[in-house]
Amino acid sequence: MATSASRPDTGEDTLLDDRALAGIRAKEVLVGKLRSEELFEQTGHYCGVEHLTLKSQDPLAYESFHTRLLSMVITARETSRKISASPGVREVGESVVALFTPDGDSIALSTGIVIHVHTLSRFIKWMIDHNYEDDPGIHPGDIFVNNDPFVADVHQPDLMTVIPIFHDDELIGWAGSVCHEIEIGGVIGGANMGTTAERFGNGLTVTAERIGQNDEIRRDYWIRAEYNLRTPIYWILDQKALLAACLMVRERVGELVESYGMDYYKQAVRQLIEEGRRGHLERMRIMTVPGRYRNPAFSFHLQEGKEGTSPISHDIMLNIPVEIDIRPDGHMTIDFDGATPQSWTPFNCSIAASDGILLVAMTQFMDYDGRVNDGTYYGLDIKAPLGSCMNPDSHLVSIGGVFSVIMPVFGAWARAMSRSYVARGFKEEVFVGMVTTPFLEGGGINHFGQHAGGQNLEGGAQGSGARGIMDGIDNAYAGWNPESDMGNVEIWEQALPNLYLGRRIIPDNYGWGRFRGGATMASTWVFYKTPSWVGHSTLHSDLMFDNAGMCGGYPAPTAKYHHLVRGSDYKQLAAEGKPLAHAEGDPSNPDVLNLGGAYELVEGYFHKLLRDGDIVQFIYNAGGGYGDPLERDLDLVLPDLENGYMTIGAAERVLKVAAHFLESEDRFEIDRDRTTALRDQERDNRRSRAIPVSEWMETERKRVANHELDPRVLRCYAGSFQISERWATEFIEFWGLEPDYKPEA
Amino acid sequence: MGATPKARVRILGMDAGGTMTDTIAVDDTGTFTIGKALTTPHDESVGFFESVADALSYWDTDAETVFPQLESAVYAGTTMLNTLLKRTGKRLGLITTKGFEDDVLMGRGIQAWISLPYSDRLHSVTHRNPERLMRRRNVFGVTERIDLFGEPAIPLYESEVEEAAKKLLTKDIEAIVIHFLYSYLNPTHEQRAAEIVREVLTKAGSDVEVFCGSTVRPVIRENARLNCALLEAYAAAPSRTHLFGIERALKEQGFAYDLQTVLAYGGLCNIRYPRLHETFISGPVGGIMAGEFVAHLLNEQNVIVTDLGGTSFDIATFSEGYVPVKPEPVIAGFALNLPTLDMESIGAGAGSYIRLDPVTKKIQIGPDGAGADPGPVCFNRGNDVLTISDCNVVLGYLNPDYFLGGQVDIDVEAASRAVKEQLADPLGVDVPSAAEAAVKLLGVSAQDSLRAVAGIRGLDTADYTLFSYGGAGPVHVFDYVRDLHFKGVVTFKFAAGFSAFGTTVGDFMHRYERTVFEFVPPGIDNASKAELGARMNDVWLGLEEEAFAEMSRDGIARDDVALEHIVMMRYAGQLNDLEALSPVARVGSAADLDEVVRAWEALYARINSRVSKYEAAGYQIYGLGVIARTSKSKPELQKRALGPETPEIDAGKGMRKAYFDGEWYDATIWEMDALHAGNVIHGPAVVEHTMTTLVIPPDGHARFDEYEFIWLERD
Repeated sequence: MATSASRPDTGEDTLLDDRALAGIRAKEVLVGKLRSEELFEQTGHYCGVEHLTLKSQDPLAYESFHTRLLSMVITARETSRKISASPGVREVGESVVALFTPDGDSIALSTGIVIHVHTLSRFIKWMIDHNYEDDPGIHPGDIFVNNDPFVADVHQPDLMTVIPIFHDDELIGWAGSVCHEIEIGGVIGGANMGTTAERFGNGLTVTAERIGQNDEIRRDYWIRAEYNLRTPIYWILDQKALLAACLMVRERVGELVESYGMDYYKQAVRQLIEEGRRGHLERMRIMTVPGRYRNPAFSFHLQEGKEGTSPISHDIMLNIPVEIDIRPDGHMTIDFDGATPQSWTPFNCSIAASDGILLVAMTQFMDYDGRVNDGTYYGLDIKAPLGSCMNPDSHLVSIGGVFSVIMPVFGAWARAMSRSYVARGFKEEVFVGMVTTPFLEGGGINHFGQHAGGQNLEGGAQGSGARGIMDGIDNAYAGWNPESDMGNVEIWEQALPNLYLGRRIIPDNYGWGRFRGGATMASTWVFYKTPSWVGHSTLHSDLMFDNAGMCGGYPAPTAKYHHLVRGSDYKQLAAEGKPLAHAEGDPSNPDVLNLGGAYELVEGYFHKLLRDGDIVQFIYNAGGGYGDPLERDLDLVLPDLENGYMTIGAAERVLKVAAHFLESEDRFEIDRDRTTALRDQERDNRRSRAIPVSEWMETERKRVANHELDPRVLRCYAGSFQISERWATEFIEFWGLEPDYKPEA
Repeated sequence: MGATPKARVRILGMDAGGTMTDTIAVDDTGTFTIGKALTTPHDESVGFFESVADALSYWDTDAETVFPQLESAVYAGTTMLNTLLKRTGKRLGLITTKGFEDDVLMGRGIQAWISLPYSDRLHSVTHRNPERLMRRRNVFGVTERIDLFGEPAIPLYESEVEEAAKKLLTKDIEAIVIHFLYSYLNPTHEQRAAEIVREVLTKAGSDVEVFCGSTVRPVIRENARLNCALLEAYAAAPSRTHLFGIERALKEQGFAYDLQTVLAYGGLCNIRYPRLHETFISGPVGGIMAGEFVAHLLNEQNVIVTDLGGTSFDIATFSEGYVPVKPEPVIAGFALNLPTLDMESIGAGAGSYIRLDPVTKKIQIGPDGAGADPGPVCFNRGNDVLTISDCNVVLGYLNPDYFLGGQVDIDVEAASRAVKEQLADPLGVDVPSAAEAAVKLLGVSAQDSLRAVAGIRGLDTADYTLFSYGGAGPVHVFDYVRDLHFKGVVTFKFAAGFSAFGTTVGDFMHRYERTVFEFVPPGIDNASKAELGARMNDVWLGLEEEAFAEMSRDGIARDDVALEHIVMMRYAGQLNDLEALSPVARVGSAADLDEVVRAWEALYARINSRVSKYEAAGYQIYGLGVIARTSKSKPELQKRALGPETPEIDAGKGMRKAYFDGEWYDATIWEMDALHAGNVIHGPAVVEHTMTTLVIPPDGHARFDEYEFIWLERD
C-alpha cells in the first residue's frame, strides 16, 4: 500500500517478510507458533525488526505517531472512569487501557493498573493458540471477556475485555481494557477470596468468552451478572465502561491508519515494540551491574482453625527465591526455582500474575519513559517452575490470596535492582518496594437494606518502602498501580455499611531507617444499619515480614491484627458525651476498649459476622526502611514529630534521638548533645552484642541440621526441596549439611 | 486598536498572568487598545499600572483622564495562586470530625502524582505529596458524625468545640476552618460549631475569621471540600485585601464603581463575593469568555478555543453555546470540587524547554520552561537550555529586531548554537531541520490534545470553528491544525491580549448548587414523577432566592437577573455525575421530567459512547443548580467595509528567509496593524505585531474579515 505524499517513506525492513508487511491475518497467526515470536527467535529482534527505519528516516513523524497512540489509550481510560459505578475504578483508578498487535503484543498502554502490561497479551495469545478464529470465531464487532487467571489474569476481580480491530477484512490489532471489580460473587462478598482453597469459591469466572457481536453485549451475559453477583451494578457498568474504552481505541486506530497509511501503521507498531525492547536493554546496561542477584521473598499465612477458611487449607509459609541473572548485554533472567509448591490454599499465582508483577515493577523502575510496551517482555526471561505456587499445573487451585504471593516478589526484585542502582551511582532510583496490605471486604445486608457485597480499596494508598535519598511515599502508594489513591470516605460509605469513626495515620508504623518507609493509616468503623454482614480481611502476611529493609533499614511491620468490639455501647456513650475511639491509641491498651461490648483482638485473618454497632479497627501496612536508623538526620525527625508520624518514645528507642515537647512554645525540640551520646552508646552496645558471623552461622547451622525450627518453616523448606533438586543442593551446601539432609517437620 | 479613541473609555480589563500583565481599554464605540508589562508578583499593582499606562499610551491618554470615565473594571490576577504556590497564606486552625485530623497530611493519594507527566506518573520514586497548607498541630478533632443519609449518627460534643477554639486562640492563627463529614447534606453540626467558636472569639476579643465547609462548598467528597475551605481561608479571602488595594488605586484616580474579578466557571463577580476561591483559575477563563463573545458575533454555535502561551497550551470547547464544566479540577496539587470551565492543558508552549532523552533520543518538550525571566537562550539572560522560541528565531519566524516591539534584544547566534549543540548534533541532522522538528513536535502535541479533547467530548471537528490566541498562538496555529479538519480557523490581531479582552465581555454571574438524592427508578409512575418534580422545584426555588439576594447586594434588580437551571445526574449506582442544562426551569409535569432525563441522556451518550447507556438502572439526580446572570456593558466590535485583497503598500516590511518543510523560502514580512478588512496575505509570509507574530506557511493564506479577524486557510 502506498503512503501519501505528506507521510514519510517507510523504507525497507529486510526481515519483515511480505506476510508481516501485509498484516498478519487472524487465520495465519493461529497456525503453530505466532509469527512474531518465530521471527524473534530467528533474529533476536521483535518481529525480525533489525532497523528502526521509520525513526531514522523521520524521527518527528515517528514521535508524533507514538504520541497519538499514548493519547488514545489515556483518553479512553479517562472516559471509561466516568462511566464506572465502582469506587475501585472511579475513585481510586483501578483500570487500564491498551493497544495490541494482531498477535497480541502490547504497543501502548495508559497509566493505571499497569500490572496488566502483559496479561492482556496473554489473553489474546491464548485465544489464538486455542483456535478461536474457527470456534467461536473472531470477527469485526466481536467482544471477548476474561477474568480467569489460568487463561491470563492476575486474579478474578480484574475484568478484562478485548475487541479485535479490523481494517477491511484484515485483523490489524486489538484494543484491550481491564478494571478491578470490588464484588465478584465469591464465597464471601468482595473481590479477593482469602478463604477458599479451590477455584470454585473465587467468584464469577468468565473464561475467555465471546460475550457479544457487532459491538453489542449479549443479554444473557447481563443476566448472568445480575444473577451471580451481590451488587451487579459495579460489574455491569464497568463492563460498559471497558467496552466503551475499547471502541474508542478502535475508532482512533482507524483515524491513525487513515492519516499515516496502513503500511506505516504496521511497521511503526512493530518498530515501537522493538524499540521498547532495545530501550529496556539499554537502560539495564546503563543502570545495573551484570551478575547474579538473589533475594528471597517470604510470606506466612495462618489458616488452620481460622473462622471461614476452607477445612482443606492449612497454615503455610511461602518461600519464593528470586534469582536474577543480568547479562552484560542487559538481558535479564528471573528465576523462581525452589518456590513453594502449589497448595490447596488461596496462596497460588498463575503464570500471568508472575509476569504481571515483574512487568509492573519494570514499568515503574526501569521503563517508565520511552516506550512502555511488550518490548520489555522480549528483553527478559521469566522462569516459574511448573507446579510451584508461582505457576500451578492445575487450574483448580485458588488464587484468592495471589497478592500475598506476588507483592513480596515485587519487593524482593525492587531491592535486588536497587543494589545495582546503588552500585552504578543511581541512588535516587533506589526503592525498597512495598508490602502486602490487608483490605476489608464482605457481603450481607447493607445499610440500604439490600443484599450487597464489596471491597474497600482505600488501602490502595499505603506507605511505600523508603527511597535511596528520601523517605517512602506517605499514604499514597500501591505497587500494582503507581497512580494510587485512597478515595473519599463519603464515597466508601455509600458502597459499604460501615460508618467511619476515624481514618488516621498510625505513628511509628513503618520500616525505620536513615530514610523511613512511608506512613500508613488505620480506619475505625462502626458497622452501620446492617443486620448481618460478613466482614473479611484479605492479603495478609502473618508472623513474618514480607518487605525487608535495605542497607541497614528495618523491615516493614507485618499487619497481623485488628481490633473488634461486638455489640459496642457507642450510641449510649455518644448520647452521654463520653469518649469514643477514633484510632488505635496505645496498642497494649487500645482506645476501642472504651466502647463497652465484647472486645476481641483478631490475629491474622479477620472473618466475622458483623452487625449494627460492632466496631472494627483495621490496620493497613507500610514499607521497609533504607539505611541505619542511627544515621537519620535530625532535621527529618522534627517534622515527623510535629506531624505525628513519629512519637517521642519511639524516636528515642529506635533512632536514639532525645526529643521533648516544649509546651510553652508549642513545638518539639531535640537535645542534640544527648542524642549524640545515645547514638554513641548504641553503637557501643551493638559492638558488645556482636559476634563473628562464622559463630552465628554455626549456631544456626546446628538448628537447621537438627530440624529445630517451627514445623511450618520446616514444611516450607521441605516443599522447596521437593520441587527443586538444584535448590536443595545449594541449601545443603550453604549450611554445610549432610548430603542426604531433608527438612523434617 | 492602535488609533485614538473616538469616544470615552468605558471598560478596563486586566489579566495579570505568570509572565505578562495585559490590559485592555475599550471605548464607547467598541474600539480597544491593549497594553503589556511584565507581571510584578511582589506587588501586582506595579505591573498593573505599567500595563494600563502602556495601553493608554496608544491613545495618547492616561489613567487620570480615563479612570473617571470607566463604567467597569475587571481584574484577573495571580496573587491568589502565588500565595498558594509559595505557601505564604494565612496561619490556619482547623476543627474537624474527630478521627479525620490527618486529612490535612494524607489528602488524597492522587495529589502525590496527578500533576506529573505520563512518565513520572509511572516512575513512582518521583511521587510526593504537596507541601501541607497548615500545621497538623493546629488541627483539632471534635466528636460528631452525620451519616450518609444526612442524619446525626453521633451528636456534636459542644464542649470539645469550645475547648478546641480556646486552644486555637493560643496558637497565633489568623483563620479557623470548620469542616465535618457530610456537612453538605446536613450543616447543623458545622453551624453550631461555628456559633460556639464565634462566641469564644468574641469573648476573647479576637477578629479571627471563621469559614465552614458547608458554606464555602456544600458538595460531596470531603477531601475536596476541605481543600476548598482551606484554600478560601488560606489564600482566597486574604487576596481580597490585595484586590481592594487595586480597587482603591483605581478609585483614587476617579473610578466610581466596585472592582470585579473572574469566576472559574465563567462570568464576573464583585471582589466582595464571599467564595473568592472560585476565582482561583481566572486567566484562561478570560480567554474562553472572549471566545464565547466572538463566537456570538460570528454566529458560530460550535467553537474550539486554543490558547498557546509561554508554558502551556489550553483548550476549551463550546457546543451549541454551552461550555462543559469540570467538577473536580486540581489546582497546585490540590484536588477540589469546584466547578471550572472544562479546559485541557498540556505543559508545552513557546517558552518550553526542549531536551533529548539520553537513551532513546526521544525529543521532550517541557513541561518546564524558561518563562520571561531568564527567558529563552536568545534573550542572553542566563538560560542555556534550548526553548521553542529559540527554534522560532532560528527558523526566521520571529524578527530579532521586533520582539515585543523591539523591547527585547534577540541573539540569533546564541539560539542557533543552542539548537546545534543540544538538538542537531545529537540527532545527526542540520540546524534548521532540528529546529523545525522541535517546532513541529510542539504542533503535533498540541494537535493531539485537540484530538483527545474532541474524542473525550464526542465532537466532530468539522462542525467546529477553531480560535487561536495567546502570544504564541498565531506563530504555531498553522502547524497545530495541519491534519485536522475544522469548519474554520481564526486568529486575532489582539491574540496576545485575548484573555484580558475576555474579562471585559463576561456577564455578572453567580452559580449555586446543592447536592440532593433523588431517584428516578425504571417504570416510575406519573404521580411519582410529579412529586419528584415538586421537590426539584423547591430546591431550585431556594437557590433562586439565594441568587436574587446575593445579586441584590450588588445592586442588581430581580428583573435584571436571568436564570439557567442545571441538573447533575447519573445512572443509579454510578459515581460520576454529569452536569446538563435543564430544558425546563420548573418540572411541572411527568413530561417535564422526561424532558430533563432526555436532555441529560443525550449529552451522556454523546460524551461516553452509546454503549455505556444503562436505562435499566434508573437515574439518580445528584445535584441541582442555578446560574444567575445579568448582562453588563461590553465592548462592541465594529464591522468595517471590506477593502481590496492587496494590502496598502506601507503594510509591507520587506522579505526575510524563513524555513518551511525542509527548505528556506523568501517570506514576505507585514505589519499586522497596517492590514485591514478584505486584505489577503499569501504564504510564505510573516505578519508581525508588537505582541505576537503570525506565521503563514507556503501553502497557506490569511484573510482579514469585516471585523479584521484573521481567517487562516490552506491554498
